[in-house]
Amino acid sequence: MTEEKKPEERKPRKHATEAAGKIGPMVKAALKENLRAKEEGKPIAYAFIFSGYDEIIRAMDIVPAWTENYAGICGVKRDAQRFLERAEGENFSRSLCTYALCGLGFDSWREETGEMPPNPPWGGQARPTVMLGSGQIICDPRYKWYQAVQHYMPDVPVFVGGLPYPPYEDDYDYRDVQDYYVKYIVEELRGLVAFLEKHTDRKMDWDRLSEVIDISDRTWNMISEAYDLRKAVPCPMGTGDAMNTMVPMTFMMGTQEAYDFFKDLYDELKLKIANKEGVIPDEKYRLLWGGGLPSWFALTDFNYFNSKGAVFPAEVTYRLVEPVYNLDLPRVSDPLEHLAWRWVKYWTYRSDKARKRPGSNPDVERLIEYIEEYKIDGVVMHEAFSCRSWHPGLIWQLNQLKRVYRDIPSLILESDIVDISSYNEADTRSRIDAFIETLEAVKGR
Amino acid sequence: MSAENSMGGLVTVERYYQKYGSRARELKKQGKGIMGYLCAFTPVEIIAAAGFVPFRIKGDVNEPITKADTEMETIVCPLVRSCFDMALKGKYEFLEGIVIPHACDSISTTYSVWKNTLNLPYAHLINMPHSTDEPSFNFYKALLGTFRASLSKFTGNEISDQSLNQAISLYNQNRAKVRELYGLRKASPPLISGTEVAKLLIAAVSIPVEEANQLIDNVIEEVKQRKTVPAAKPTRIMVVGAQVDDVAFIDLIEDSGAWVVADDLCPGAREFFADVDVTKNPIDGIAERYLRKIKCGRTFREKKGDYEDYLEERFGHIGRFIKDFGVDGVVLYIYKYCDPYGFEVPAMKSYIESVGAPVLYLEDEYSMSTIGRLRTRIQAFLELIGSK
Repeated sequence: MTEEKKPEERKPRKHATEAAGKIGPMVKAALKENLRAKEEGKPIAYAFIFSGYDEIIRAMDIVPAWTENYAGICGVKRDAQRFLERAEGENFSRSLCTYALCGLGFDSWREETGEMPPNPPWGGQARPTVMLGSGQIICDPRYKWYQAVQHYMPDVPVFVGGLPYPPYEDDYDYRDVQDYYVKYIVEELRGLVAFLEKHTDRKMDWDRLSEVIDISDRTWNMISEAYDLRKAVPCPMGTGDAMNTMVPMTFMMGTQEAYDFFKDLYDELKLKIANKEGVIPDEKYRLLWGGGLPSWFALTDFNYFNSKGAVFPAEVTYRLVEPVYNLDLPRVSDPLEHLAWRWVKYWTYRSDKARKRPGSNPDVERLIEYIEEYKIDGVVMHEAFSCRSWHPGLIWQLNQLKRVYRDIPSLILESDIVDISSYNEADTRSRIDAFIETLEAVKGR
Repeated sequence: MSAENSMGGLVTVERYYQKYGSRARELKKQGKGIMGYLCAFTPVEIIAAAGFVPFRIKGDVNEPITKADTEMETIVCPLVRSCFDMALKGKYEFLEGIVIPHACDSISTTYSVWKNTLNLPYAHLINMPHSTDEPSFNFYKALLGTFRASLSKFTGNEISDQSLNQAISLYNQNRAKVRELYGLRKASPPLISGTEVAKLLIAAVSIPVEEANQLIDNVIEEVKQRKTVPAAKPTRIMVVGAQVDDVAFIDLIEDSGAWVVADDLCPGAREFFADVDVTKNPIDGIAERYLRKIKCGRTFREKKGDYEDYLEERFGHIGRFIKDFGVDGVVLYIYKYCDPYGFEVPAMKSYIESVGAPVLYLEDEYSMSTIGRLRTRIQAFLELIGSK
């Protein structure tokens, strides 16, 4: 019986920074907090990361339950298969987003039995009061997943607000359209506030919202400044750790705790740089994680890279901020309008740069920028089979990088975010070995 | 009108279907601009009003995907990959540009790949929202305004309201004719097979709308005058899915002893049943149709009322087809990696069963290599229906 399967016991991954080591307990505490909130009758919102509404939830004192995070935890604990199988049994295709499938399997199980599935990773996920989707230019599961969950929890209301950004086009500039994008996003965020006020006992405190946004703006800056320190040689923190430190960036934005975390990280990295302390003592190759979500069940692959003399000073994945002072944001009094401008300006940040290089686009431009600023020798990407949000276009980006910039060794790993059945450790590592040989050959030229 | 279009309707359909794009190629030689597009969510009225022939890019289930994999991930919807593969292989060399709507991840997240790999003179993404509320509607209208301005800039001619209204009128005629065509399927046995209808609708999205209208008229006339009555088959099937632009699957069902009498597919009823309302500002009517009237999994509809009402709101049109067309069973035919429809399956299945029709859910890969496996499943389903 799948219910009786015990997850595989594994040693924790070795971290380069103390900050990354704090993440496990933080996530555990957040999940406990959710379960306690449920007992206390506080409103809980199923939510997606990077959906523009973190500050609204925090300001209204609604407890977020980040469902992608919980699926990722199931993946890290190598205990997702029973939920994936259950979702498949419900006729959800195994080719769909495995975060969503894991969540759907979990929720349908809990709804059927009226209690948590047996031995749920880190205590399980509480039943929500509301579910907050998001209609973006990317990620269909952000509006489909919670709609599908409603089949098992029809009484839980779902909100899906539009959150688009201007695509990079040749025939017009984003500035030609940004005003109507911002107007729309503000209206949708206002609709979200009305939805939350209707379906929970909370009322928006607009002064509080401005305070929360101020904290998150400062956190955006602090993250950017801390991560910039990774340009140092030797590199004091790699992508393996960044896959931990993404937690306060994505699940705690708008909290003082998140700001403090990154201030501590900044101080820690400064100290490491002063002591010339790198992720590995003998740094031979500096790699860019150029795209794709990680295989949460195989984060030790980053340590494997380290064992071969390779470090990842930068990554595109989960670097979801830019310094706010660089975004050229207009001064506005409406906090929702500020959020909308920040969103649009974040996504169009490299448009002007891209326009100067024929054939480039903002994604390619970002790769070039990181390659230059972080002194990168090679690019590694991951194609997760179940995610069509972040992964289509990676091959083209690599091809285009070579066409408009320069040839650089690259590797695309193939597996998934949650579904371990897609992963072959021996095969992955032999591909890494071959890639390291290529790097060595290129360096030796 | 083309010379061929004056021949027998079904003969012309067969030719256009088998040599997909042949008419567009001829028109290109005559100096006509051909604008390629993906998906039923591209507002073809605006393209036609700009003086182009809107041309639906289709894949080919018989053609192994080879070239596309060098630029596009294999985790993308196999239909989109096949379309891109055909484009890379030069099948659509006559295109002047491409218009891609934000329909689903597979379509919109590959926009850069399409745009930069094909390097056509024109490319545009219509970033349409998923929600249907008033702010989304107004935002979508603004996007359509940007698209209209962009196409005008490309052609050097303003797209007038008058030309938009003319295009709307022609496309509404087109849809009315398709509805009339579907009416022929209500008879038992249906006067026209599912395979014939599918071929006609696929052909219709590859030629100018005026020619498509004439072609549909010809087919309706021809079918009504048929001397041979179609064979009686015991089971009437409806097929539901995303875009099915090849008749292999429909043909498989009809070859297994059933008629396909209804569908919720593109090209198909989903695409052809909703009209553009005549509005003072033509963009209003166009926006209403594409954002709110077309019932597709890619559009999020807010739940109002209880869950049964919600299912009725999302899938009620399928229920009405089942009743109106005397459907005995429904096949949910969904491609692997299809997020908008893959997430719908349990709810959709439960709704269809609640209105009394048995359901077969099949996941496929847009390739002839799976036909044998599908045949076995279809035959078993038809036997199950027959035994009831």
